[in-house]
Amino acid sequence: MPQLHDVDYTLEYPYTRTTGPVIGPFLTGLRDGRILGQRCGDRVLCPPMEFDPDTSATLEPDLVEVGPGGEVVNWTWVAEPSAKHPFDRPFGFTFIKLDGADTALVHAVDTGGDPEAMSTGMRVRAQFATERHGSIADVYFVPEADAGDQVIEPGDEPVAITEHLIGLRINEPLYPHRARFAQGLLDGKIIGQRSPVTGKVYVPGRGYDNMSRVLMSEADEVVVSDVGTVVAFTELNPVQYYGQTETEPYVRCSILFDGTDQPVIGIDIRDMTVDEMRVGMRMRCIWRDPEERSVEDIDNRYGNIPEAVYARFEPTGEPDLPADDLKEHSW
Amino acid sequence: MAPRPCAVLGIGQTKYKRRRDDLTLDGLVREAVLRALEDAGAAFDDIDAIVIGKAPDALEGVMMPLLSLADALGAVGKPIHRVHTAGSVGASTAISAVNLVESGMYDTVLTVAYEKQSEGNATWALSGGKSGGQGAGGTFAPWIRNYIARSKAPEHIGWMVAVKDRLNALKNEYAHLHLPDISIEKVRESPMLWDPLHFLESCPSSDGAAAMVLGNDDVAKKSGRPPAWVISHAKRTEFGQFPGRDTVRPQAGVECSEALYRKAGITNPREQIDCAELYVPFSWYEPMWLEGHLIAEEGEGWKMTDSGDTELGGSFPVNMSGGVLSSNPIGASGMIRCLEAASQVRGTAGEYQVPGAKISIGHAYGGAAQYYAMWMVSSELNPEL
Repeated sequence: MPQLHDVDYTLEYPYTRTTGPVIGPFLTGLRDGRILGQRCGDRVLCPPMEFDPDTSATLEPDLVEVGPGGEVVNWTWVAEPSAKHPFDRPFGFTFIKLDGADTALVHAVDTGGDPEAMSTGMRVRAQFATERHGSIADVYFVPEADAGDQVIEPGDEPVAITEHLIGLRINEPLYPHRARFAQGLLDGKIIGQRSPVTGKVYVPGRGYDNMSRVLMSEADEVVVSDVGTVVAFTELNPVQYYGQTETEPYVRCSILFDGTDQPVIGIDIRDMTVDEMRVGMRMRCIWRDPEERSVEDIDNRYGNIPEAVYARFEPTGEPDLPADDLKEHSW
Repeated sequence: MAPRPCAVLGIGQTKYKRRRDDLTLDGLVREAVLRALEDAGAAFDDIDAIVIGKAPDALEGVMMPLLSLADALGAVGKPIHRVHTAGSVGASTAISAVNLVESGMYDTVLTVAYEKQSEGNATWALSGGKSGGQGAGGTFAPWIRNYIARSKAPEHIGWMVAVKDRLNALKNEYAHLHLPDISIEKVRESPMLWDPLHFLESCPSSDGAAAMVLGNDDVAKKSGRPPAWVISHAKRTEFGQFPGRDTVRPQAGVECSEALYRKAGITNPREQIDCAELYVPFSWYEPMWLEGHLIAEEGEGWKMTDSGDTELGGSFPVNMSGGVLSSNPIGASGMIRCLEAASQVRGTAGEYQVPGAKISIGHAYGGAAQYYAMWMVSSELNPEL
């Protein structure tokens, strides 16, 4: 079993949020050093809500200042904070009923890392961060006795749109069949899996034949030809998005390798234009030198034959296969 | 036991825009819901259950939004269901709501679908967050090339669809794109994004929501609102990739329409159906779905476009509202197709009404053209075909 890289990447995007008529003023208030609640009948909701939580009626924006003091009505202790937590030392996550509010706000209480300082019913007070951006993280809470006086300079524009880098780190070993496929590419071989039921060859194999619903293992693996036929292609003009590094148009195609039954999709062609491509065209993989090959771009979900293993695909010069014969491989 | 008849009794849409910067996600969904309730003459108290759909969570980065939307939807204390079928989800969601009425489980069901595309990036999400993503356009473009090669359609067909749908959108106040000076030349000269698809042959990225109130025959009678009876519906699925898959004419799409027509007794869809709202996010999918859903013979769909049959006023109007090419809040786009089909047979489509429309279909597809959801609506419960 080859020892390849573990998959380790962070899927993240700077999402934005439109704050609207109630949450917007709340976040603007936090930036300006004030905590606001929303009137709802004879109650005050903090955090404020756009709709009555009992009746779903629309609440017209009617915000009143609450706090900065309040009472902890329930809490838990975070002994090992993560990088995304508000403090780098242990702290309490709490429900805080602020003075003047009728509902509780979930927020963090900093006791300097001491869980003994936490109790239900304790008094806490808001402290505002030095740098504030119109975010729930502009504020945090401390035991009332530890609170200091602050002078907060209000900002200018109301907070209408906020940005949040939300992500998910994926850290896992390559599945065994993916690892064998990737190792094959490092060795200059394309490995497929032959269904024990139908005999059809899948590249790359998924570890199962989805049509016959049977598992496929190393025993079902075959090295397939690195010569094949173009079955579909386009030229991409890359859409620019967070993390996109492509800037120039390039051809992307699907190739049905000889002796296989399902094309390999997403093969990038950098040295030919769309006008030089044809469905039915015969192409051969020209591999990079072994020491130059990399399969770092292969994970368990994405990556078939990455550019880091081949120098280019070049036409073999053989006559094209008739496009009509390729109908059933049109991906 | 025969299913309870189910009718669309109220419809609601938001204005579709690049960014609805006046509303939170909750407020956006709510806008469509309140309009649907008003149209149905109903209130939250009349709703027995809610069915919600949207595209995958990565589009906005909000996990399980059905929970945080409960207040906005009036769902507190009521059953709420969420449907997931990628881009077809809006239509799948509507059909799932129909199932709840037809089964007799609930009398009145609210169904809603949305996307607030401006809060994330669909191409990023469809690319697994990695560079080099091809997005939807890059996935479908090779299949469109293969359709063109196979059908020998002339290249102007795609441009015609792009113009027709944008002209239709001028009659629809909710449509995102209003491009009064659209022309074949403008489409042809717009940048090539995914060969052969130009920028103006592609759907926009929209914020928006759509909602419907569905009720059984008793509720329909009491409401007094014009009903659109859901006389048939079908969903089908196939794998995104398997040996022998024909991506130009996917088998699941063919079978979905066969099931839809069979249940309604339709033997000649082109003659017996008055108009259709088909999911056409890229211009060429109009002729591809006319063929792939058996409205036209194989290789003949583009001729319907070319001859003007699919225009408003043609013999088989398609996407009278302007379609996905004019508004694309992804998760809602399929529901909008269903809702616009209903609006036609209720006679409430205003400037883009097909005169006398009695039978119409709404359609959506999703994933790698692997999920299909279609419904057929009529002004009559048992229409004469």
